[in-house]
Amino acid sequence: MRLIPLVLAAACGGEPIAPHPIEFLHTFNPRETELFNTTSAERGLRVDASLVPFARGHQVITEMLRAGAHCPDLIRIDATWLPGLVAAKLLLPPPPALATAGWSAIAKDLAIVGDTVWAVPQSIDGLVVVRLAGTPAPASPSVDDLAKAAAASGLPHPLGVRVDGYWFVPWLRAEGIELAPGTIDDRAVRALREFAGLFGGLAATPPSAGTEAPDELRRWTAHELAYWVTGPWQLADLRDRDQIEVSALAHAPRGGQLLVVPACARQPAEGWRLAQELTSEPVSLIFSDAFATIPTLEAAQAHATPLVQRTLAALGSAERLPRVEVTPLLFDDLNPAVAAVVAGDATPEEAIAGVRRGWHRLGHK
Amino acid sequence: MKQRPSLRWRVLLVLALAAIVPTIVVGVLAISRARHDVRDEVQRGALAHIRALGAALDGTLQDSRRTVELAASQWADAAGDVKSTQLLVRRLRRDVPVVQALAILDPEGQLLFGDPVPAGVDIGSHSFGGYIGDAVVERGKPVVHMVVQARGRTGELMGVFVATLDLAFVHDAIAAARLGPGAEVVVVDGRGAPVATSAPVPSLAPGDPVVARALASTVEGTLSEGGWVSAYRNLSSYQSLRGVRWAIIHRQPEAEAYALARRTTRDTIVIGAAALALALALGAFFATRLTRPLADLARRADAIAAGQIPDEPAVRGPGEIGTLALSVDEMAKRIAERAELASALARGDRLASVGVMSAQVAHEINNPLTSVLGYAKLLLEDKPEGHPDHDALVLIADEAERMKKIIGGLLEYARAPRPSEPALGTGAAAGTAKPAQVVSHVAALAAPQLKRVRAKLTTEVTTETLLAIEASALQQILFNLVQNAAQAFTHGGAIALTAKPAPGGIATIFAVADDGPGIPVAARTKVFDPFYTTKAPGTGTGLGLAVCKHLVATAGGSIEVGDGPDGRGVEFRVMIPNARE
Repeated sequence: MRLIPLVLAAACGGEPIAPHPIEFLHTFNPRETELFNTTSAERGLRVDASLVPFARGHQVITEMLRAGAHCPDLIRIDATWLPGLVAAKLLLPPPPALATAGWSAIAKDLAIVGDTVWAVPQSIDGLVVVRLAGTPAPASPSVDDLAKAAAASGLPHPLGVRVDGYWFVPWLRAEGIELAPGTIDDRAVRALREFAGLFGGLAATPPSAGTEAPDELRRWTAHELAYWVTGPWQLADLRDRDQIEVSALAHAPRGGQLLVVPACARQPAEGWRLAQELTSEPVSLIFSDAFATIPTLEAAQAHATPLVQRTLAALGSAERLPRVEVTPLLFDDLNPAVAAVVAGDATPEEAIAGVRRGWHRLGHK
Repeated sequence: MKQRPSLRWRVLLVLALAAIVPTIVVGVLAISRARHDVRDEVQRGALAHIRALGAALDGTLQDSRRTVELAASQWADAAGDVKSTQLLVRRLRRDVPVVQALAILDPEGQLLFGDPVPAGVDIGSHSFGGYIGDAVVERGKPVVHMVVQARGRTGELMGVFVATLDLAFVHDAIAAARLGPGAEVVVVDGRGAPVATSAPVPSLAPGDPVVARALASTVEGTLSEGGWVSAYRNLSSYQSLRGVRWAIIHRQPEAEAYALARRTTRDTIVIGAAALALALALGAFFATRLTRPLADLARRADAIAAGQIPDEPAVRGPGEIGTLALSVDEMAKRIAERAELASALARGDRLASVGVMSAQVAHEINNPLTSVLGYAKLLLEDKPEGHPDHDALVLIADEAERMKKIIGGLLEYARAPRPSEPALGTGAAAGTAKPAQVVSHVAALAAPQLKRVRAKLTTEVTTETLLAIEASALQQILFNLVQNAAQAFTHGGAIALTAKPAPGGIATIFAVADDGPGIPVAARTKVFDPFYTTKAPGTGTGLGLAVCKHLVATAGGSIEVGDGPDGRGVEFRVMIPNARE
């Protein structure tokens, strides 16, 4: 009896039905997971989806693929994890037809390591500057002009920025330093001093760890923030989206989420089929409308909401993080260093020296 | 006749439907609602249970992580001090009992202090400062490995703490949980393998759908499948755990989980059936009670239709039925009256014809009879006592005399006028009779006869109103009645003749009462019929009371007979309308 659908599908020229549900390991947040489950059910996809928390995703996925056991057919990963997985030969490249789909240049760039496309880009993200319509745009995308614009707003702490290495990247790059082992020097000290100097002044004293996102949202809703350095992931929670303007931030990091098929997948073709479905124009627009996710297909981007399109335009001048294996590991040292300086526990010199040693160690590994 | 049971059954059917339909509807709704509520409560309860358990597990692991992080931070600021490290580790083991083993490594991964690092523990991957790994089984015991980066004041990595946490507390927490009948709680790791279970032999088979569902869920959910009611919570959603991939599942057989719903269903059915039976019994009772007067009415109507006026009491019933019964009785009464009227008219016509014929016969007989009587008396003058023919002539004369009386009565009856205005008190014909004069005259006329039978007549007149009747007619009526009373006596007696105003003042009531032997009740309805008599043969014509009634009716009055005063004798009551002023 199970052969009947297959025979019918073959006779009709449609896609063959997978004998087993597609195993999908993802890093969606709970709300995204709900929408994914609903969308899958509505589109008749037989998917066994498992959630892996983003914070441990890189580690869990790497261990799982290396072990080759319980291997999923499709995985959603952060773009910074791709080089490491490719280098470990844990992934399969997508079929040529899929690899040449109508993705935007930025999206395709996220999926390439070396000269090869290794993934299907699912969404684009990065840091932008958000402000309400009527709030003057900074004179330029630079971090200096952003600070000047914030200072001119007259609000006590008009700038929304997070104590995190990812947010520190534009200030670091403004000093000419890229996020890579061996590149950090005294310019990073200046950058960190400037970045840490924002807090308590243009930026409010940071809240306790783990409450940053809701605190930022509360302050934005209360109109305490004139300029908010954030990403598309938070735009979904904002009201009056038509009143939101988005500006580029010079040297901002740009990234995204990718769909990859592991080499150990039992049903790689099914994995790619699910990837194609998830990035199709209708599905990506469902996610885009719900969560302000930026689609990767040009056709879908053209039909996205104005806010998504403005965000995508602002990310056009952002720069992707270095496409090397250690990139995601660099933040392990950068994040606590930034936090230590902002908290006043360390000087920028001390913190950067520690980062330099840590990155040197990573470079040697 | 066929409709009588049909009506009762129809009423019963309506009442039954009125009871059955709401009972079934309410019962079904109650059962459905109870099942729904119980299902919700079971699921809510199970979810609340595993939330609490999950929060307890999360709290234990979080507390452990925070304590180890704090220790790692302290160690990082004093790295290299062996004594302080030993003291720190002792305190850590004391404060965090779930720490089964602890290793301190340098940033390169070399062991500095403590136990060897278990194989497979990743200390170098991207871990956002540390993590708690998946549950694994070491030496038969479920454990998790916790990796905490030891960063100093400046945030620089000084080393790594690797702690092995004994998950026996998970088993203890589950074992201490109060579970419902047949329920069990299972904690599975990210691969679906059981980590701890409350049941000695877990019912959760490998590959059970609830495990896949739990690990795929966003946070939590419920599943009813395979005879089990399951609630699950994906503990991976506890962000504070930094991604421990496990899930907690509460399972209970449907038969146990929904036992309350079954009991509620059974109780509802029993109560509903009892209520239904009671309603049907009451329905039958009320249907019978409701239709019985109708059935009685139907029987009564049948009897009326058959020309019989039932002697049984009138049907009583509530509301409209009572009104209908009264109407039927009123109708029957009207029919009877009409029938009686028709009968009376027919009898009247007959009597009128008989009267005319009797008058003609009497007129024709009266002349020869007068001759017979005259010649008999003439012969008696020639045949004195002792003559052989004397007695025969006397007999002829007496019988002829009696025949003349009869003929005279017939002529009187025939001569009486027909009532022109019979309605009492609505304008009786004008008359001249005065009660006192008529009574006095009757007393004088009857005196010789009363004396002969030693009867005593007393009179009492308390009205002087003129009556709508000729004085002679009234005199004849009263005289006939007094004479009848006197003829009833053999050894004397008392007769009372009274006249008094009738209530309302529109008529006068005459009463002639005696203390004689009376008239049998059965005969009272016939005493006014012509030629009916209770007297001995030869002593009455049977026309006296008929003439009385005729005269009274002609005057628009009424006459009736009843028991005498004190229940003795008989009393005739004559009501004569008063003359209009």
